[in-house]
Amino acid sequence: MTEREHGVVGRSVQRRDLLEKVTGAAVYAVDVEPSGTLHAKVVRSSYAHAQLVRIDAEAALAMPGVVAVVTAEDIKDLFPRFGHIVADHYILATGKVRYYGEPVALVVAETLAAASDAAAQVEVHYSELPAVMSAADALAPSAPLVHDEAFVVSPDESFTAMAATPTADEVLERDNVAHEVTLGWGDVDAALASAHLVVSNEGMKFPMLYAYAMEPYNAVATYTDHQLDVISTAQHPFMVRTDLARIFDLPLSRVRVQVPYLGGGYGSKSYTKVEPLAAVGSWATGRPVKLVLDVEEAIYTTRADSAEVNVRTAFDADGTILARDIEMILDSGAYADNSPLVVAKAANRSFGPYRVPNLRVRGRSVYTNTSPASSYRGFGAPQGSFAGEINLDKAADLLGIDSAELRRRNLVGPGEEILPGKRGLDADLRADLELLVGSLRRDASNAQSSGIGYALTASDAGAFPVSTAHVRLQTDGSVVVLSGSTEMGQGSRSALAQIAAEELGVELIAVSVSQSDTATVAYERTTGASRTTTLTGLALQRACADARAKAADMAAEVFGWPVETIQPAPGGVLGPEEKFVGFGEVIMRWFGAAAGEITGVGLVRRDGATQKMPPFWECGIVGVEVSVEPDTGQVDVRQLVTVADVGFAINPHAVEGQDLGAATQGLGAALFEELVYEGPQLVNPNVVDYRVPRMRDVPAKIDTIIVERRDGIGPYGAKGAGEGALNPMTAAVAIAVGRATGKWPTRVPLTPERVWRLLNDLPDDS
Amino acid sequence: MLPEFTLSRPADIDEVLRELNADVVPYAGGTELLLAMKMGLLVPSGLVDLKRIPALREISASESAIVIGAGATHDEVARHELIQAHAPLLVQVEQNVGNARVRSQGTIGGNLCFAEPRSDLLALLAAFDATVLLRSVRGDRTLAMAEFVLGPYWTDRAEDELLVSVAIPRPCPTGAYVKLQVTERPTVGVAAVRTAAGRCRVVVGSVTEVPLVVAGASWDDIDADGIVAQVEPVSDIAGSAEYKKHITGVYVRRAVALARDGAV
Ligand SMILES: Cc1cc2nc3c(=O)[nH]c(=O)nc-3n(C[C@H](O)[C@H](O)[C@H](O)COP(=O)(O)OP(=O)(O)OC[C@H]3O[C@@H](n4cnc5c(N)ncnc54)[C@H](O)[C@@H]3O)c2cc1C
Repeated sequence: MTEREHGVVGRSVQRRDLLEKVTGAAVYAVDVEPSGTLHAKVVRSSYAHAQLVRIDAEAALAMPGVVAVVTAEDIKDLFPRFGHIVADHYILATGKVRYYGEPVALVVAETLAAASDAAAQVEVHYSELPAVMSAADALAPSAPLVHDEAFVVSPDESFTAMAATPTADEVLERDNVAHEVTLGWGDVDAALASAHLVVSNEGMKFPMLYAYAMEPYNAVATYTDHQLDVISTAQHPFMVRTDLARIFDLPLSRVRVQVPYLGGGYGSKSYTKVEPLAAVGSWATGRPVKLVLDVEEAIYTTRADSAEVNVRTAFDADGTILARDIEMILDSGAYADNSPLVVAKAANRSFGPYRVPNLRVRGRSVYTNTSPASSYRGFGAPQGSFAGEINLDKAADLLGIDSAELRRRNLVGPGEEILPGKRGLDADLRADLELLVGSLRRDASNAQSSGIGYALTASDAGAFPVSTAHVRLQTDGSVVVLSGSTEMGQGSRSALAQIAAEELGVELIAVSVSQSDTATVAYERTTGASRTTTLTGLALQRACADARAKAADMAAEVFGWPVETIQPAPGGVLGPEEKFVGFGEVIMRWFGAAAGEITGVGLVRRDGATQKMPPFWECGIVGVEVSVEPDTGQVDVRQLVTVADVGFAINPHAVEGQDLGAATQGLGAALFEELVYEGPQLVNPNVVDYRVPRMRDVPAKIDTIIVERRDGIGPYGAKGAGEGALNPMTAAVAIAVGRATGKWPTRVPLTPERVWRLLNDLPDDS
Repeated sequence: MLPEFTLSRPADIDEVLRELNADVVPYAGGTELLLAMKMGLLVPSGLVDLKRIPALREISASESAIVIGAGATHDEVARHELIQAHAPLLVQVEQNVGNARVRSQGTIGGNLCFAEPRSDLLALLAAFDATVLLRSVRGDRTLAMAEFVLGPYWTDRAEDELLVSVAIPRPCPTGAYVKLQVTERPTVGVAAVRTAAGRCRVVVGSVTEVPLVVAGASWDDIDADGIVAQVEPVSDIAGSAEYKKHITGVYVRRAVALARDGAV
């Protein structure tokens, strides 16, 4: 039906980047090298926590091809830190190092080989300090402090609420808590005391993860006379621009950040990463400087917050939730980065899309001397839902209620608020749950040692709604779309082209989309939180409407038609007596030459449809069937079912790809992935020992269901996709393993050994 | 990143032999060598590329043996009709080595010469009674697997020697190979084969420093618990010593059960 209503949207069109990427022609940041480029190598800390005594760079500087060795001392007159919430992140370690692998110096040389050789010759003298390698260590009384000073939080409305803001005259007792959130209502203690049943899951452990984008972080920066040009792997080029402008005290307009195709992001490339390093390298040498990290360096640059979660839920005899009490501690590593936001989101998402009349959530993001944690697809949702959803299944068994029925009884209905005062739920989770469970049960093997698990999440998605888009109608009627949203493999280039073609009534082939260049495209706050289709899409729809209105005004002027008589038409306007004039003709008539263009501008802010936060709820509705080998503990995933409650699928194939990709990534945390620290260092900072899912791990049955109820605020009722199917995956797999083994897991990933220990009641202290 | 080195690309084996020494080493698929160089574990001054020597990739059969050139990749071995006809168990093992990239780049010779203990081939070829042919300007040597592999990353190959080929005596034993592979490399691998002479042989690899060989007149002579008692695994990211011991027992029993039923 939808296909008839619309011409271009609602169809699985071929991806714009398909041929380029398949043939290898696509250009990524890593491929860009301006002439005269120098290459940089980072000298990294070999301690988790140590005073920097002295850096001796003489030997390195004397080596052939070496141009400069940049240290904190050299950049102290700049603003030497970055961080969009708390600017606590030193570009180069200053005074002390806070984690193994922290950048201490940057060697810049004519070739990468020369830079690498010289980096090994930079002598760094340390005086070791006691380190806190886990959140528990960091929270212990009189634990060593990772940060001795507190930095002021960014004045941005969307962040001030996210971080503990020390005011000038407030003397804070320093501890290692980077940020604390509390959330709740009602009287939890009273509800717990009088409940029919209280079910708890304590010490539920979620691992540190690496997002494993195929293209590691890299940037090439050119600093010349009051102008900084950077080409990098940034999801949010406009945010990076802000950090860079502050470092060099440049006007925003004199910092240009460009992002070509991005080789995967998954949140790990949101916000500033290696750009300041490359930029100070160029600033110090006056030549373009390129910095490309290897996988090990990338792992030490950003990871996902690990977490330990306690959850207690109080129930009535009929399974109605009376209260939930949740405590989560996130190990955020050495710098805040985006963790304050992650912990806030983790709290919002921890209790699930259920009616919880009495709620208490306490979340703490804790500094440790480990690699800094930041955004990772799902933003704290997997951490909380792992504990929270197992807790519901455990309760269902104790109450003697089917676990789907228990959820059904408690799910928030369409339009109902999950968070008081926030947007009501724009989804029908009960109907989605029926589809999910129906598919799983239809193909269930019911074999010994097999089990079905499903889980639901609702994420306050879309982030802060600031989006803009420009469309430029050309004299031949074709269309250029300008957007600051980054194409990182998710297919936004195709989706935006589809929306523009639909809105202007032109052929898809006549639309081009240019993205992510702060000097030329329209402002976009972020590419994350599954927002592009919804928010950039909305901005683009408005830009198209603006262009159409301008075309109508121009037609009125040149043809002498009363403006009110002009109707929109595919590819142009209809004048009196249904006279059609194409956009191209309008432009040429108005300019009086075969020249000119119409620019339409679309703006989105917290207003109208996007006034209420969050812009939309992104639901995760997934289930699996697993079988467990009792003697080895190996888990085989037999079925994967996802329900994409996306309102309207502009490109259904892309939606399926997002859900399958997200679910598969979620399988990683559930079964294989975990960064393991032993002493100051990771044991597995490489993708041989850090095991990600492979083709053979993907289940035989995959059912990616799309439901379209037109209930989103985005174009045609669309809502975002991208994170949803990842969020409940860990929980779903852990529940399935619990059902297969008869024991509830307390920790992921569920490696064969963990499952074997679970089965045999052996302690798991690995 | 890779340290500097010289690269030579000889067209025949003799040329290779003239070049090899402690500092100038063979370079086949590079799947181990280049990684070790990137990590600074090996710093040879020169590499001798073996990929352009057709003779090193040949796979042939005589009355008495199947001979596999050291330069044959895992994929080439798995796809070769002689191997498919005479050593189906080797095909199955080669198809499950590492990942697609390792199978298409990595060679059988590189696997044996690197002697990383977590290798399927070290165990399987020991079960097959295979021998290796080493050549240098000084002459040829033929060694049994147990003589060749001395320890982790340690073989009897002298620095000027090239591994030319691996010979599997015919008829090639049949049986089973099973492994637990949690990360990229096997954690425990067990081969159970019936030899041409009718003996039952079990070889446990990956979990041990060098493959452990146990044989008996019948499958009932294979004492899984006895084998478990002999292995001394170390705890690492792939599993605790306790778990690895347990798994060794499970896989020995599985391999024997499969081999007893015939398998391939
Ligand atoms: C990610 C990964 C997963 C793997 N998984 C498995 C697995 O599941 N099972 C398994 O059995 N193996 C596995 N391996 C090992 C793999 O089989 C070997 O890496 C590969 O076969 C080595 O061959 P190569 O040609 O790349 O050797 P190279 O890296 O080129 O060489 C390795 C060493 O052998 C020497 N050498 C090479 N050829 C000769 C020769 N003809 N004569 C003398 N010396 C020589 C080189 O000098 C070097 O020291 C894995 C490896 C990786 C990287």
